[in-house]
Amino acid sequence: MGSEAHAPPARPRLGVFKLASCDGCQLTLIGCEDELLALSEKVDIAHFPEASSRTDVHGRFDVALVEGSVSAEWQREELLSIRERSKLLVTIGACATSGGVQALRNGKDVSEFVRAVYASPAYISTLDRSTPVSAHVSVDYELRGCPIDKHQLLEVLTALLVGRRPAIRDESVCMECKRRGNVCVLVAHGEPCLGPVVHAGCGALCPRFARGCYGCFGPKESPATAALAARLKELGVPAADLARRFRSISGGAPAFADEAAKQELEHD
Amino acid sequence: MTHPTKRIARAELDRLFALLSEDARVVHGPTVRDGAIVDAPLASVSELPIGWTDQQAPGRYRLTRRDDAAVFGFVVGPSSPKPLFFPPEETLYRAERRADGKVGFVPVVPSPAPKALLGVRACDVAAMRIQDRVFRDREHREPRYAARRDDTIVVGVHCLAPGPLCFCASMGAGPRVGEGADLALAERLDAGGHIFLVEALTARGQALLSRLEGSEASDEELRWRDEALASAERSMGRTLDTAELPGRLYAALDHPRWEEIASRCLACGSCTSVCPSCFCSGSDDPSDLEGAHTSHTRHWESCFTSAHGELHGHTTRPRTSERYRQWATHKFGAWVSQMGQSGCVGCGRCIAWCPSGIDLVAEVRAIADGVSPVTMPVAREVTAPREESLVPRAATVLARTVESSDVVTLSLRMEPDGRRDFAPGQFHQLSLPGVGEAPISISGDDGAGVEHTIRAVGKLTEALCALRVGAQLGVRGPYGRGWPMDELAGGPVVVVAGGIGLAPLREALRRMLADPERYPDVRLFYGARTPEDLLYGRELLGWIDRPGFDLHVTVDRAGPTWRGHVGVVTRLLRPATVPASARAILCGPEVMMRFTVDALAKLGLPHTRQWVTMERHMKCATGTCGRCQYGPHFVCKDGPVFRFDEVSMLFGRHGL
Amino acid sequence: MTDERTYRVDLMTRVEGEGRFVLRVKDGVVIDAELSIFEAPRFFEAFLRGRSLFEVPDLTARICGICPIAYQMSSARALEAALGLVPTPEIERLRRAIYCGEWIESHALHVFMLHAPDFLGYESAIEMARDHRAIVERGLRLKKTGNRLIEILGGRPSHPVSPRVGGLSKAPTVAALRAIRDELARGLEESLETVRLVARFPMPELEVDYVFASCVSGDAYPIERGDAIVLSGGRGVVPVASWDREMIERHAPHSNALQATLADGTPYLCGPQARLFHHAEKLHPVARDAMREVGLPREVKNPYRSIVVRAVELVHAFAEALALVERYEVPERSYVEGPLRAGVGAGASEAPRGLLWHRYEVSADGSVVSARIVPPTSQNQARIEADLRALGPSLLAMEHGAATRRAEQLIRSYDPCISCATHFLDLRIEPTHEGSA
Ligand code: SF4
Ligand code: SF4
Ligand code: FES
Repeated sequence: MGSEAHAPPARPRLGVFKLASCDGCQLTLIGCEDELLALSEKVDIAHFPEASSRTDVHGRFDVALVEGSVSAEWQREELLSIRERSKLLVTIGACATSGGVQALRNGKDVSEFVRAVYASPAYISTLDRSTPVSAHVSVDYELRGCPIDKHQLLEVLTALLVGRRPAIRDESVCMECKRRGNVCVLVAHGEPCLGPVVHAGCGALCPRFARGCYGCFGPKESPATAALAARLKELGVPAADLARRFRSISGGAPAFADEAAKQELEHD
Repeated sequence: MTHPTKRIARAELDRLFALLSEDARVVHGPTVRDGAIVDAPLASVSELPIGWTDQQAPGRYRLTRRDDAAVFGFVVGPSSPKPLFFPPEETLYRAERRADGKVGFVPVVPSPAPKALLGVRACDVAAMRIQDRVFRDREHREPRYAARRDDTIVVGVHCLAPGPLCFCASMGAGPRVGEGADLALAERLDAGGHIFLVEALTARGQALLSRLEGSEASDEELRWRDEALASAERSMGRTLDTAELPGRLYAALDHPRWEEIASRCLACGSCTSVCPSCFCSGSDDPSDLEGAHTSHTRHWESCFTSAHGELHGHTTRPRTSERYRQWATHKFGAWVSQMGQSGCVGCGRCIAWCPSGIDLVAEVRAIADGVSPVTMPVAREVTAPREESLVPRAATVLARTVESSDVVTLSLRMEPDGRRDFAPGQFHQLSLPGVGEAPISISGDDGAGVEHTIRAVGKLTEALCALRVGAQLGVRGPYGRGWPMDELAGGPVVVVAGGIGLAPLREALRRMLADPERYPDVRLFYGARTPEDLLYGRELLGWIDRPGFDLHVTVDRAGPTWRGHVGVVTRLLRPATVPASARAILCGPEVMMRFTVDALAKLGLPHTRQWVTMERHMKCATGTCGRCQYGPHFVCKDGPVFRFDEVSMLFGRHGL
Repeated sequence: MTDERTYRVDLMTRVEGEGRFVLRVKDGVVIDAELSIFEAPRFFEAFLRGRSLFEVPDLTARICGICPIAYQMSSARALEAALGLVPTPEIERLRRAIYCGEWIESHALHVFMLHAPDFLGYESAIEMARDHRAIVERGLRLKKTGNRLIEILGGRPSHPVSPRVGGLSKAPTVAALRAIRDELARGLEESLETVRLVARFPMPELEVDYVFASCVSGDAYPIERGDAIVLSGGRGVVPVASWDREMIERHAPHSNALQATLADGTPYLCGPQARLFHHAEKLHPVARDAMREVGLPREVKNPYRSIVVRAVELVHAFAEALALVERYEVPERSYVEGPLRAGVGAGASEAPRGLLWHRYEVSADGSVVSARIVPPTSQNQARIEADLRALGPSLLAMEHGAATRRAEQLIRSYDPCISCATHFLDLRIEPTHEGSA
């Protein structure tokens, strides 16, 4: 625990916290193989249980990175406390930003889900929705992705340290796809691709690997979901399939949830 | 015009390829990859898409087999030559900020291997020339673009079988390969065999041609080629009437079709990205963890992104309809005013590669057909391009004056020579390595340095305002068109300023007051939010007693000690204070200027005697990034000062 | 007077996911040994129902950020079984290559970043770097090579996008894959150094008689494919399709965890030790030499020593990946397809931390009717608790803090992956036990 008394000229304190998630996003921090040791000299990684036994559960932080969605009451309480103790709170990844893949349970009967998964359902207590961090506390920056991209993570940390706005673009995956010179899988192969409405950041990975984008980075700024749905239908994608595509990794994001609901309605 | 033309056998292509590869030249050309014909560096003729063709429709492209072995039997695929010269992402310079507050900037200029482009279509040759104008041959010579572009051999291919989406003939760009290519090929594959007619368009082409084995093309062969081209011209998949198109489009800014398109448009930016001539870019300043070492990078941007219209954290074009309109009006309209030619070469890529299958030609026709045109500004004549590296130079803070709670004036010494050349109304790009760059208007020359008055509204301006005397920063410029000092001379001048808008006017005021013979009657009308927000108080007081100078000040809100006017600045403009013969220069928030222009017009000042300043987020400041576009103008070089009639049809409109 | 001691850690660190453990020893007798998980459940099996079977690998990847490929591969295999698809040998080699990337990444992470600090007495690898920078840098380098291999084949290290039902969505060009050859060769050297390094670590003592469970993968050391599951102790070989009859999962009220045991209640161990026991002779010769050099037996009874086994497997993964990369040719197809049909299929592969088994029922329209996922950590759970019990008495002689750390080190030996486990684990919040003795 940092005793403020004789702290050397304050290295900013970083905390990494986890709610409901797969750990992939915080792993991205350990995955900054070339930068990790340098970063640890610039910032005091004061709480990062996945990487260190030196923890500071109740400490104060200049920057808190929060991974995961809120899907149990105790997580909500923990989150409120993290917010209180952190100057800047940055959500990392789709779970924290839009509820994550586990938000697929939203709108479903959770007690029935519990029965489906657990041998003895009586021992399970959980909230019936998986919600993003911003549904509970104010968030200073949302870093998208499932998982987040390591370069973007470093950019956000650097920008916060240096005191500038992170250079992260809210454009479509198509922009990255085109910069990389990929052949558009939608146009050239008729593959359903969500790229036109999805937030850039991954480097257009799916089209690079000959498949349509499935939306890890969530909706871009002003996503034209209805227009894309209409176009994909022209290409023969049925409503039920469209609904599933929007209700996936970032299905908890309002723009995608709404489009999915519209398609589900149409399907019924 | 007849060019020397040879007939060569199909097999002779190999020799052509070998000649092109001489001197370690990298040959780029079409090849099959991932289900499309794309451009790539090639190792041999066999990598060309021999026996392949494409089927195209709006939003649809399919690669298919031909039943012959034609080498160029297809039309354009998704890639154009654009990325070879204007890469999707590149570093312009590196910057460092040392512990002692000094800064340094090092340009990054590539020295790539020379290239040869084999199989370029007429439309793409035309598009390369457009990009040449933007980056190399017009106002500025961008050294990175020039380094990649200068020594390039271009071997074009005449399009004898245009595709269903092609309309190069309407745009005057094809199907015949024109200026810009060294050689032009016409492929002939019929019962008589498989040959190429090779035409030399330049001396360099001629030199290559002379080394190819073949006979001079016969009259029959030349006739065959010309007829094939004429028939290609007639069989374009699409046509567009371009007569007065810019004026017709600008007359249709409120057409309901823009909104209708927005229900189909995904605002994904695919169209502008595949466009061979679109040049808009954005920039970033990624740094190391301390912000001590920065790279200034530039990337393809699109009018379909929010960033492209960004101004003070908002976007000026929030709606898809506005973004689409920006694209279409720029491509077919504004471009003509900016460069003297349309930005479209009719390649049809934006139609094929739009994931939503939107047909730009059909949309433009639906909007502009039958509309009577408005008059458009004409492109400015430019003589020789000047070398522009886009790299800042260091400047040192000589003095720092706090003007109000959030406004600071920095007087800067330009390193190394201390030059202070600028015209009143021009601006500089000020930058801090690791933080960013922003346009800041020049607010004066204090005899030692160049003054900049800055309001802290964001991270960068906050950091600039916090700079201490002796600290360094980066400066580029001066840029833009300033106040019309010559036209103001002689008669009464009305100067209207709102808030920080006084800053770009101050040096104009100083110069006018210093020369009462040329400027016998100067009247300043100055409004601010509160008395505390009034800038340059002492200096203004010092001017009051000058003969031929009138000062009128007002504030929106005042405390009990304020004895001056309260209310908007237009309330000060009355027949008694504004002579009808005056010329007016205005700077302030857009709404304030709008009301002022109207008030002055009522007092007898026509739009041609009023000048306003426009604000857009300048990135390059050299007319090459497209960020500052305002209708047909680039605010960075055509402005920021405009005579009001130049912008009156745009002024106050949303989404431009 | 009774002597009751409680060893507990409320927030386990340097493990994947959130868990705690409690070990209570009363008068020399272990009365409580619990590894409990308080991660929130994420209901994968439930929400997979009704999804298209082609989405399953993308979704199950999200169970774990460290071993997503294992999830993608086990689910793809199960679904291929349901559809009757058989990937070509070329596809299998590509799968093995990307899976090697995950082994490298995960094992390097565990050996250097998570487990080594226990042996050398540090709180973290970052802290350890102050005295042993070269070691930590080596670990990061090895890990990065694993990540790079995955990136080339699948786009990104976590949740790569290419693995799909039938194979990979796209195969890399020869040049793209060969680009990592030299890095792999260097990694192979450095992984051999790693074996030597960890073999010298001071080993706490503990001896356990394990029942080992692992995949069988033809003549190969099992990684990406399980043709069957083999058990030690004369329990024979079980077809993958009937693993759920051989093993039972119980959700016991006094444990926070659902535990898998064999049908007769015997806890078993999967993971590196199990693989080594069953398949040591199938290791790449370089890895076998390394084993011999440091005197590692095929039957490793001391769980702490799993760090050496992991290092040997690291050598194997590098050697295997290097060979695959060197012999690579772009396959004609990177995945196989076939008509949809209703059916049931099970699939298994060897996640870095052990056997991962999936089973799906799909309908004729290609949607998932039911899903069952049994991850390694849930299978090892009962074994971990049993080993904690075994450890209990020996802790009494130690200072309390050191004893607690020793217990934690033991748990880390299994490389537990708690996020994986939570799709079925309870999240009951334990009342805080009162302080320790
Ligand atoms: S493949 Fe997808 S992301 Fe890429 S340009 Fe096409 S629609 Fe956009
Ligand atoms: S699904 Fe979309 S956002 Fe995710 S990796 Fe693929 S292209 Fe990127
Ligand atoms: S064109 Fe770049 S700022 Fe004007």
